[in-house]
Amino acid sequence: MDLTTELVSGTRGLKLKNPVMNASGTFGYGTEYSSLIDIQELGAVVTKGTTIESRAGNPQPRLKETPAGMLNSIGLQNIGVEAVIAQKAPLWATWRVPVIVNIAGSQVEDYAVLASRLSVVDGVSGLEVNISCPNVKAGGVAFGASPRMAAEVTRGVVSSTTLPVIVKLSPNVSDIVEIAVAVREAGAHVLCLVNTLRGTAIDINSRRPFLGNGMGGLSGPAIRPVALAMVYQAAKMVDIPIIGCGGIATAADALEFIMAGASAVQVGAAQFVDPSSLLRIAEGIDEFMEREGVKYLSELVGVAL
Amino acid sequence: MKQELARVLSNEEIMEGGHLLWLEAPGITGSGTEPGQYLMLRCGTSYDPFLRRPMSIHRVMGERLAVVFKVLGKGTTILAACKAGDSIDMLGPLGHGFHIERGSLNLLLVAGGLGVAPLTFLADEALADGCRVTLLLGTPTASWRFPQRLLPEGASVQVVTEDGSEGTRGLVSDLAAELESDFDMVCACGPAAMYKAMVDSGISASRKVQVSLETNLACGVGACLGCTVQTRLGLKQVCSDGPVFDLADLLI
Ligand SMILES: Cc1cc2nc3c(=O)[nH]c(=O)nc-3n(C[C@H](O)[C@H](O)[C@H](O)COP(=O)(O)OP(=O)(O)OC[C@H]3O[C@@H](n4cnc5c(N)ncnc54)[C@H](O)[C@@H]3O)c2cc1C
Ligand SMILES: Cc1cc2nc3c(=O)[nH]c(=O)nc-3n(C[C@H](O)[C@H](O)[C@H](O)COP(=O)(O)O)c2cc1C
Repeated sequence: MDLTTELVSGTRGLKLKNPVMNASGTFGYGTEYSSLIDIQELGAVVTKGTTIESRAGNPQPRLKETPAGMLNSIGLQNIGVEAVIAQKAPLWATWRVPVIVNIAGSQVEDYAVLASRLSVVDGVSGLEVNISCPNVKAGGVAFGASPRMAAEVTRGVVSSTTLPVIVKLSPNVSDIVEIAVAVREAGAHVLCLVNTLRGTAIDINSRRPFLGNGMGGLSGPAIRPVALAMVYQAAKMVDIPIIGCGGIATAADALEFIMAGASAVQVGAAQFVDPSSLLRIAEGIDEFMEREGVKYLSELVGVAL
Repeated sequence: MKQELARVLSNEEIMEGGHLLWLEAPGITGSGTEPGQYLMLRCGTSYDPFLRRPMSIHRVMGERLAVVFKVLGKGTTILAACKAGDSIDMLGPLGHGFHIERGSLNLLLVAGGLGVAPLTFLADEALADGCRVTLLLGTPTASWRFPQRLLPEGASVQVVTEDGSEGTRGLVSDLAAELESDFDMVCACGPAAMYKAMVDSGISASRKVQVSLETNLACGVGACLGCTVQTRLGLKQVCSDGPVFDLADLLI
């Protein structure tokens, strides 16, 4: 069956051999899992969130398991864009699998700076813009919480690069469709829905929040129906490809997102549980298509809408 | 590093709330294991508990390996119910273990509670290499003490209980500080409070002291950055740079 997924066409487009990639922040820079799975068989590899300067991240504890999921408050720990370019990109340039760099900033300008810097780096095939981060100049409100700020970040990135631009939306908003439309109007090529849902846990023995940072982001199967509904709503209103993300653990889960309008999917927390799940999901989609007599994956995208 | 469905060979309750699990894991043992490395065990097949549980490699015999664990919550309760013939999905060997410096012939191993788990493997290897091994076994009370019959033959063992119900009364960290000058190297595994007490009771930072750290882990391979600790050498991942670190490099 034909699982190729063209998210962005053209010479500097984004064409994947299958629709399954890892979610940012759960797969390091691609090499961490390479002794367990053949990463070249993925649709794409998405890197940890990258900022202009390196970041140390949040205090421990950063992880807390929850029913069918987990909270994390990593705090965007990363080595910074120059170290990524010097230490990681040369290896990516030798890979068959496209590498998408996830970028994050604390002011609008940061995103444009990152985009123009990465635009000229060999081994980088696309950018994924994390707009769930707090905008320091706007008092810490997430960029992704307002259609205006989300659009501003998107415009800054799109005008600073010739790379395909994926904008990854935060689910912590009152109307995801409004944000999706604003980002699309601002020139995003692809949307990714969604990032983690805000959540926390209290340690009843110490009577304090469990996570060092007070709150964190929830991911894993627990959030799947919420993420799926957001993809379903957004797909009805925007005409650019959507990458579905949130709680996907099996091929059936991925197919739900695809039928709800996603052209591709990302898997995060579930592959901590089973590192073989990324490739199993791609295989499972292939088997489903074979069984159902579906030749092209695109025939399934949005059929449930 | 391998992902493997390991077959349970036996599961024995060896002490109050403590289990010894022997598994057949040719893939993992075949990739070469070192003392202090660990495995990530999937507990059951549902999403609750969700994450894998880290367990140190306690012993290796050919294609078989053992873990020892204390029943604490959801994950270990499921592991405790495993029977011979069941399978456990494991990742391993993971992380970096203890490193015995060349020329270190006289080792002091300091175990807090079930911290004895990886130190047994270390003692096995060190004894086979001709080292002399002294193992300090610290436990709150005699009934939680790791059974004598499972300790490495040839190691000299001293038991320390907090309540004095067996051996020396007191803290294993105090005894370690008292004895350390007689040894070439110290390797410890126990709660963070034990390492803090070791530092406070004057285990000199210049000596070769290695300790195994614990934090919550998700991936086990250095990908999620959930287990980052600040050290004198910068940020380190407990799961992949550790779990074993030089005590002198830690900020405790
Ligand atoms: C590298 C590494 C190696 C380890 N090796 C071993 C080993 O060989 N044997 C062993 O018994 N354990 C070991 N542990 C600890 C073990 O992973 C945890 O005890 C286990 O995950 C608990 O799972 P659970 O589902 O039973 O408990 P949970 O349901 O997760 O927790 C139940 C209760 O136990 C507490 N708890 C959870 N984890 C720990 C912990 N690490 N220390 C103290 N309290 C905790 C929780 O706060 C909670 O109150 C190791 C940990 C690490 C990081
Ligand atoms: C440990 C961890 C770290 C993450 N780091 C990032 C990040 O740096 N940038 C980002 O855009 N999303 C990050 N995410 C969010 C995931 O990419 C994904 O959107 C989210 O976890 C939902 O998918 P899942 O349920 O499959 O995990 C992180 C998630 C986890 C669990």
